[in-house]
Amino acid sequence: MKRVVLAVLMSLTTAIGFAQTNGSSNVNIAQRILDSGQNQKITIGGYAEIDYNQPEGANGNMDIHRFVLMLGYKFNDKTQFITEIEYEHVKEVYIEQAFVNYNISDNVSLRGGLMLVPMGIVNEYHEPTTFNGVERPNVDKSIIPTTWREIGVGVNGRWDDASLKYQAYILNGFISDNGGKYLGGKNGLRNGRQKGAGSVFNNANFSAKLDYYGIQGLKLGLAAYAGRTQATDYENRNDDAFAVGVKMIGLDARYINQRFSARGQFIKTYIDGAAAYNTEYSSDLGDEMQGWYVEGAYNLLSLDNAQALTGFVRYEDYDTHHAVSGITENLAFDRKDITVGLSYMIAPGTVVKADHQWFDNAVDGNLVKKQFNLGLGVWF
Amino acid sequence: MNFKNVSKGFLFVLFTLTLSSFQLSKSIQKKLNKEIKSAFDTSTYILKPFLVTEEVKKSLLVKFTDSNFYSIEDNGKLIGYAFVERAPSKTAEFDYLVLLDAALIVKKAKVLIYREEYGGEIASTRWLKQFIGKSEKDSFVYKKDISAISGATISVRSMTTSVNNLMKSVAVLHQKNIL
Repeated sequence: MKRVVLAVLMSLTTAIGFAQTNGSSNVNIAQRILDSGQNQKITIGGYAEIDYNQPEGANGNMDIHRFVLMLGYKFNDKTQFITEIEYEHVKEVYIEQAFVNYNISDNVSLRGGLMLVPMGIVNEYHEPTTFNGVERPNVDKSIIPTTWREIGVGVNGRWDDASLKYQAYILNGFISDNGGKYLGGKNGLRNGRQKGAGSVFNNANFSAKLDYYGIQGLKLGLAAYAGRTQATDYENRNDDAFAVGVKMIGLDARYINQRFSARGQFIKTYIDGAAAYNTEYSSDLGDEMQGWYVEGAYNLLSLDNAQALTGFVRYEDYDTHHAVSGITENLAFDRKDITVGLSYMIAPGTVVKADHQWFDNAVDGNLVKKQFNLGLGVWF
Repeated sequence: MNFKNVSKGFLFVLFTLTLSSFQLSKSIQKKLNKEIKSAFDTSTYILKPFLVTEEVKKSLLVKFTDSNFYSIEDNGKLIGYAFVERAPSKTAEFDYLVLLDAALIVKKAKVLIYREEYGGEIASTRWLKQFIGKSEKDSFVYKKDISAISGATISVRSMTTSVNNLMKSVAVLHQKNIL
């Protein structure tokens, strides 16, 4: 009975949240409904993306790409639990985050559970109202396998006088053989994501990030990741054929000044032992992968307007075969994309997006593929 | 026994007694203490709850209570005001402080306690400097007057709205000659 009541309450608050997106206050509707006293314990939020992708000369695809419900529970002033439940394409259910955050002091918190790997911009900040374009950048699909999350423990915190934020975690890593799906190909490490779903662990992975925001309007990030992938069998965990070494370095920047904004990201991945892995699993994992993008955007409306209409251009350059050994470099993996579009924020938390994309690669005589996208994004 | 020391001691006890009846938590009291000392460069001050009548409260954006708004006096002279309140962040609430001087200009804005890992950038000393020197005549439009922080949209807007509402309320009290 409790579950039914909770489910009804959740759908009711979601419905109200969707309906009432216009508000100058930042307390979302759901929060107010559940706040029955001085100490508000439960927070409900979420985001959704409804997309229409129209590649040139092929079937269009209309999809409720993502529907995510976020629940937060505050046990006391220091202890909080956050979880995100995700429905993708209306059929796949996953948990995107599920961790406990414990505040030790003003600048240190401990975190444990299923958490987002801090690498790049979009992996941590992926609500549809926070990025331009209907789809997430392709660098954040092929090079950083977003949404990249694993189970682990670690610390995070801030130094307010230095305007620095830090995160450092020990996490589970990619699995080398994910039920017959292997690392390599056009999406690099993407198949290796375990997502905290009955994940195998025999090699610890490390992740750390520093964010600097001391210059007005600018946010700089530097991230590092290192660890071996998880072998299917425990005895093989140090054998290159069954578990490769992964090292990643990421640099990202975001800038906002009045109506102008820009962002950029550079990611480099080094794989150790790809040759042995490729022989074992008949795969095409590269020795090095690289991806970067730059984006410029401008709000066409005045800042006094509660709405915003942002025009943007993004250029992406990414290659999962940046360096290979023992296999033939696949030039189709060396890609360059251009995205031009508009993001129309009709109210804080609701955005209508439209863009056009051109996809090119290094294959001799390759015909540039074109695609038009239209989307609706909400975040409450 | 030195009279100066006795009076200092007495004032300190009075200060502690008055604060403890204010329903502010110990950690907030401690931080408030520290900020007033450093901003006004004095340790002989006393805080008095600034009470606003129910009638006047109706016309204000901010809900003033006997534990969130104080006048600061040093040796009998009014030197400023302190406002301590909570505002929402993405999944929690944060405690903030705004100090005004006697002319109702913002002397300091500070995030006293930030309780979650997203949006904590608003506690940056550098970012909060934007509020210093603002008066009731200033506007606080997000992105236009107050610079945004990528990845901290909710808390930036929350703090901006909070300070904006406070200054608008101060303007009303000033206009009614209450402040």
